Amino acid sequence: MQRKNQVWGKWVVAALALGALGVVFVNMLVDNMPKGAPQKVEGYVPWEKETLEVVESLPLQDGGRIKPFSTYAGFKMLQLHGARSMKVEGKGGETFKLKPTEWLMDTLFRPEFAVDLPTFRVDNSDVLKAISVESKGRRDRYSYDEIQPGIQKLVELAQSYEPIEKKQRDPMQQQVIDLAYNVRNYESLLGYFSFARRGVELRGSGGETEADKRADLSAVMSAAPQLMGEIQAANREKREVEARLQDLLQQVLEAANFSKFGMFVLPPKNASDENWLSAGNAIMSVMTMETKDPEAAITDIKALETAVRSVSVSEKEFRKHFAEFKESVEKRAESRGELSRIGMEVSYFKRDYFLNAMIFFLLGSLCALAMWGLGVGKAGKILSWATLGFSVLGAVYCVTAIVIRCLIMHRPPVGNLYDTIIFIGATGVIFSLLVEWMNRQRFALGLAPILGLALIILARRYEVGDAGDHLDPLVAVLDSNFWLATHVITITLGYSAGLLAAMLSCGYVLMRGLNLDAGDKNLRRSLSKAVYGCICLTVFLSLVGTVLGGIWANYSWGRFWGWDPKENGALMIVLWTLAILHARIGGLINEWGLHLASLFTACIVAFSWWHVNFLGVGLHNYGFTTGKGTIWQFYGVMMLFILFGAVAMIVEHYDKRAKAVAKPKAAVKGLEA
Amino acid sequence: METDTQTPAKTRSAFRIVYDFLSGFHVATVTLLLLLVLTWLATLEQIDAGLYPTLNKYFSWKSPWLIPELNGKKVPIILPGGYYVSALLLINMTLGGIIRIRKGWKQAGNLISHFGIVFMLLGGGVAHHFSERGNMAIYEGQTSNVAEDFHEYVVELAESKEGVIGKIHVIRGRFLTGLEAGNPREFRFGDLPLSLEISGYLGNCQPESKLINAPRAGELVVDGYYLRELDSHVETERNIAGCYARVVNADGSKSDPFILWGGQFHPYTVNVNGRNFTIDMRKRLWPMPFDVKLDKFTADFHPGTSRPAKFISDVRRVENGREAEVRIQMNEPMRYEGFTFFQASYGPSDAKPGDEMYSVFEIVRNPADHWPEYSLYVVAFGMLVTFLTKLGGHLAAASRKRKNAA
Repeated sequence: MQRKNQVWGKWVVAALALGALGVVFVNMLVDNMPKGAPQKVEGYVPWEKETLEVVESLPLQDGGRIKPFSTYAGFKMLQLHGARSMKVEGKGGETFKLKPTEWLMDTLFRPEFAVDLPTFRVDNSDVLKAISVESKGRRDRYSYDEIQPGIQKLVELAQSYEPIEKKQRDPMQQQVIDLAYNVRNYESLLGYFSFARRGVELRGSGGETEADKRADLSAVMSAAPQLMGEIQAANREKREVEARLQDLLQQVLEAANFSKFGMFVLPPKNASDENWLSAGNAIMSVMTMETKDPEAAITDIKALETAVRSVSVSEKEFRKHFAEFKESVEKRAESRGELSRIGMEVSYFKRDYFLNAMIFFLLGSLCALAMWGLGVGKAGKILSWATLGFSVLGAVYCVTAIVIRCLIMHRPPVGNLYDTIIFIGATGVIFSLLVEWMNRQRFALGLAPILGLALIILARRYEVGDAGDHLDPLVAVLDSNFWLATHVITITLGYSAGLLAAMLSCGYVLMRGLNLDAGDKNLRRSLSKAVYGCICLTVFLSLVGTVLGGIWANYSWGRFWGWDPKENGALMIVLWTLAILHARIGGLINEWGLHLASLFTACIVAFSWWHVNFLGVGLHNYGFTTGKGTIWQFYGVMMLFILFGAVAMIVEHYDKRAKAVAKPKAAVKGLEA
Repeated sequence: METDTQTPAKTRSAFRIVYDFLSGFHVATVTLLLLLVLTWLATLEQIDAGLYPTLNKYFSWKSPWLIPELNGKKVPIILPGGYYVSALLLINMTLGGIIRIRKGWKQAGNLISHFGIVFMLLGGGVAHHFSERGNMAIYEGQTSNVAEDFHEYVVELAESKEGVIGKIHVIRGRFLTGLEAGNPREFRFGDLPLSLEISGYLGNCQPESKLINAPRAGELVVDGYYLRELDSHVETERNIAGCYARVVNADGSKSDPFILWGGQFHPYTVNVNGRNFTIDMRKRLWPMPFDVKLDKFTADFHPGTSRPAKFISDVRRVENGREAEVRIQMNEPMRYEGFTFFQASYGPSDAKPGDEMYSVFEIVRNPADHWPEYSLYVVAFGMLVTFLTKLGGHLAAASRKRKNAA
């Protein structure tokens, strides 16, 4: 009977775990997928693959580094659209899936389509109501054309909310400000090549009967010395500049302003000058005669004009001209030593290593749940090998991606919060497999893919919420490869070991509380040893990491300890795990106590790793608010496990006492008989 | 095998009972947990109260117990001060982790780790009591040999002869704090013909005209002005202290009271027996045994962003006519004669290319500067020994078990 209950219990737990995994996974998918039917874009045809391949690897400067067009497009799309893909219904009612490079190419080169693309993610329809724009649902995506009628009001509202301190703003006010910024950003991209599309109008050139002629901006740039000479002459002679010339210069200024921000695609000629130029910068450098090499700037602008205009001729023509422009940029970038990592980065994002890892971890998790449900036996053995295989494959993908990131960034793997998530994910899986190698109970083995899956999902959610390029360079104080490779890595490994200890204890509490192990003391002892080992490892890594951090701080700021929340969080992990070890060695806590305390370790790690970032103080403060609710959900789940364990412990205690009292009585009865 | 022989209970001396208690795992566990709770609460409380006041409340020797506050509301529990909990942990670790611990190869790692942590805590204590911190701001081309304390306001008295300031007499901050109105204290300066009576010290205040804002708490009004107390800033180094003073002549007569305020541009001057004296309130300055000249300051940003990439100060250290060129930058301070200079800040923040820049150094004098580093090596080595010993034992046992099972 007990055996039957045990098997049922395992399947119930496996089903519950599967349900929980499913909820998290579906939640993530729903969160990132567009709602409803694909947006209709009249006559839309996708870009050809060959064209995408030419454009995606164009180097440009953004966020303090040189990156490919595709990376820039990816994070811009995340920032505005909240996902890396969108679906549209185009020519002939066919549905197309647009990736970041295609979306940004439409924005830059085919604005007539771009304005209808569902670019803006709006999470609260009240924002649209406030600007008198019709909303589709509580949360949806909108095109520029749909939002356009309310833009004036949006800007006014955002301006009225901005003086309110960020902490005091309600979510709606913040979303209005965010949307206003997003629209402004988008407009700067939408109008970036308007100088190339339209040129300038030569007012009065058509006489009274004909329309005025248009001229290329590059042609106006070529005439800059004459134009400037005319202005200087007018100034010298104290007469007004001719109205037509004033009008022309005004048009040039407006065109330059439209393309002044957004994309910095032109490498400077001077090797010591680190800042790349936008098209607007190049135009103004010639018009103000600041540049020593106007010919180069004029050639660049002319090349851009040719490429942009050829879109209306044919895609093949566009591809040809854009490739010529790209080749010229690449040559200059190469001579500056700034081209070497572009190809690697294009391939890194294209291969989407973490998506592959997630798929393997998902498959591994399903196998693990089935493995636990089936227990020992042939099927269980096959499933355990499958779990191991998928976990290793997932881990290989994660490690490969992390190594490539290091090569791209030229720094150790952890430098920002996104890095910590993927690093903890990979190392958590590796630690789990090491624990499994040592105790062979198929427990840590099953946890490996689940931990990996959970953290990759977290990484993807964080990436969407933050929408910032996590490969960008670090601020001055963090820019030390030695300390990043020692202090940061050690601390992060400490988080990983602490979380693994807590996850193992989750399993222990469920197993013992529901009697899924049929009282197998060897299994329990083995798990307790694994948890104890993980706690020891957490103490070691956290203590060494914390002191290394102190030494770094002593080198950087002249104090070993500054009571910064992040430092305090690391110290709390050290204190808590040391308290557990001393309590265990001193006999103050038994096996139950060890596991309940280990569960609480997860809360302390979560506080140190994530929660301190919301406090808004300290030198490690990243100043973000994404995931504030998730952290409380996590605390809640861990507290439920602790509560369940505590209740199970008490029930077991009274159960044992009752049995101990019943036994002597039975013995006495036997004697009487 | 059971036996019914009972060993008579040993009676322990009072010393032994105390020793056993102080060196036991109970005290270790409880002190670690208390420090955990104190650290957590201090982390949360510093958001509203600021770092410096929170540290004083939670970890100063002057704070034997405390009542935490979260979101401005008192939490109804009384906790022991962190300084004393740390001291108890230090005693516990010395007695239990070094003296009482079982000696043997198996415990070697633990013994080494405990020794390292005791050394680290001692280092923390030395730094807490004996280190000094200040800052020095210098423009390019300028030279300085003094650091300004972050928090301590002092009163300085000096004689001025033909515009030249003589020996500066300093009343340290610890003598000023606690001098409330109506509780004056007189300070004498050796052979000078005057002494100063100081009262009404306020940690953060500003002079206020009684016509604009009438005093509400019976403050002393001097020449139409009084010192209005302000709430402490969260960054306490922004506080400006003030007090009231009177000059006490050799014959015991006293001048009218006057205001000394940390934000005043010029010192108060007084003539006593034909000699001129200046009296000033300012943050304490401490002299260096050498001069520092800033030759060049460079602020580099990642291209196209406002994200700092490098702050570099090229300085010239001058001592007894000897010069040394040193570069100070983030993560690379200058350590010399017990002082450490760190690149802390720069300005003006809105400087354009070509503008004159200044660099701000944080200066620290800490006798235990490298102690944490040395203790880390000891602790890490000890823990590694323990960890590897345990791991090795576990693996050997597992291997034996598998062999037996086979």
